[in-house]
Amino acid sequence: MITIIGITLKGIFRDRVFQGIIALSVLFLFIPSAASLSMRQVTELSITLSLSLISFILLLLSVFLGATSLWRDMERRYTFSVLSLPIGRSSYLLGRFMGLTLFLILTSTFLGVLACVMIKVSSSIYPSDRPIVWSLLVLTLLFTTLKYILLVGVALLLSTVSTSFFLPIFGTICAFLASGVTQQVYEFVYSPSAEKLVSPLIKMLVTALYYFLPNLSGFDLKVNAIYGIPANFTGLGVTVAYFVAYTAILLGGAAILFNRREMK
Amino acid sequence: MNAIEIIGLCKNFTGKRMTKIEALKGLNLEVARGEVFGFLGPNGAGKSTTIKLLMGLLKPTTGLSRIMGVESSQTLSRTNVGFLPENPAFYDYLSAEEYIKFVGSQFGMEANLLATRTEEVLKRMDLWEARKRHMRGYSKGMVQRVGLAQTLVHDPDVYVLDEPMSGLDPIGRALVKDIILDLKKQGKCVFFSTHITDDVEKVCDRVGVINNGQLLVVDSVTNILQRGIEGYSVLTISPEGVQEENYVGKDELQFFIQRSLQNNQSIEKIESRSKDMEAFFLEIVAR
Ligand SMILES: Nc1ncnc2c1ncn2[C@@H]1O[C@H](COP(=O)(O)OP(=O)(O)OP(=O)(O)O)[C@@H](O)[C@H]1O
Ligand SMILES: [Mg+2]
Repeated sequence: MITIIGITLKGIFRDRVFQGIIALSVLFLFIPSAASLSMRQVTELSITLSLSLISFILLLLSVFLGATSLWRDMERRYTFSVLSLPIGRSSYLLGRFMGLTLFLILTSTFLGVLACVMIKVSSSIYPSDRPIVWSLLVLTLLFTTLKYILLVGVALLLSTVSTSFFLPIFGTICAFLASGVTQQVYEFVYSPSAEKLVSPLIKMLVTALYYFLPNLSGFDLKVNAIYGIPANFTGLGVTVAYFVAYTAILLGGAAILFNRREMK
Repeated sequence: MNAIEIIGLCKNFTGKRMTKIEALKGLNLEVARGEVFGFLGPNGAGKSTTIKLLMGLLKPTTGLSRIMGVESSQTLSRTNVGFLPENPAFYDYLSAEEYIKFVGSQFGMEANLLATRTEEVLKRMDLWEARKRHMRGYSKGMVQRVGLAQTLVHDPDVYVLDEPMSGLDPIGRALVKDIILDLKKQGKCVFFSTHITDDVEKVCDRVGVINNGQLLVVDSVTNILQRGIEGYSVLTISPEGVQEENYVGKDELQFFIQRSLQNNQSIEKIESRSKDMEAFFLEIVAR
């Protein structure tokens, strides 16, 4: 499995899509000047921009790499040569997942360092009255990374059943978009004001979807990082537990489906 | 224990509009250790389907297959096999050397041994010069050579090759024949599919002919060639020194020899005239 992780990383680093997406990180260089346009709150803005940019790059990477890695193995018929080696399909899948995870961690570390340098530059040019809480920034980055690792799990699960890249890519994007709103929709449906508007059937449907779809709202600590608000550690603990459980279920499901998959 | 056992193997595919395609209809076959077995059949006969089932890439509809006694559904069944897929494709962002080493490590080979074996097989397959280049830039025949190299690197006892000669130039084809004969000498089992009858005649111990998902004949190559004898060409020289070539029917050889001797003709050469494997194959498939 270690070798599969290695192969996955090599594959990503030698891939054009990766190189293109990483080229986006050049945008970081513009953050100080872009942030300075706001005149006030330069530091806050540079933090916001950095975190959003990192989030965006990680989203692209996790959707495209997650959705295409298994799909491409099958499409290009690499699976015939690789899955006929004495590698179990579950280990292969897990190796792929770990490789992608490791890659996301490396990327977010790299981008995180880049972002910190830029934030430092911005704040030294236009000092802010609020001190930057670096530990919160790191925590935010950590949870952002976890969020996208979970998304890779969604992409892998979808690609084990799909014969085209359409379902994994768009399915993952949809899951991502939905994951941002499920919390709000759920809370709305159960709020007193919605009592008369929402039929019980829809209520049930929303509840089912709420538990079925990933809920990624807990992973967003941007506000804490920007305004230096201390994090709620019990909440974070719950989020980590949710991450572990949800990812494990995703991978377990993916392994079952991949084991049954026929290589035609 | 047989190297390969296939018992009542059936495979149905669902085609367009849910039509059922019976690719394999109850295949039974055993291939012994140390045997070179040629799996002969026209396009669409079910050769690749059988091989994919054997390697656990497909799941049988009914029946089962075993390699070295272990059922194909288990990962363990593949620990002693070198497999070459049909028109193989390998991670094209790796070089041949990286890929061969990757394969060797999957079989748990120790690093030093792997390095020497990798060099050996790459040189043997004439890929040594190209070993550092990414496979993306390889020609079809070069990829096929990588495919053969990766079956050889870990020195397994069983080889399953789906059309090993396809895409290769005459030199490459001769090389593959040599390799198979070499493996035979080492007592390895080679199971390979092909539609080229000539390959079978040269290297196989036994042949199976498959068509429409059914195994039609399984027999040894010597038997088939023996059975195919149709007659003889006999070169005689008369007392006056005149050479004559005669065609003699299968059952008339004894009679012809006696008569020649009575006529004081000396017999210079007798050659059997036989139908070759190709004619045999065409006859079986047409039936
Ligand atoms: N994925 C699939 N879906 C539907 N039918 C299939 C599939 N794969 C193979 N078949 C059918 O199964 C039959 C056997 O195919 P197979 O690939 O085993 O033939 P083959 O003997 O390897 O032929 P060739 O010499 O052309 O490689 C064919 O009729 C083919 O149409
Ligand atoms: Mg075939």
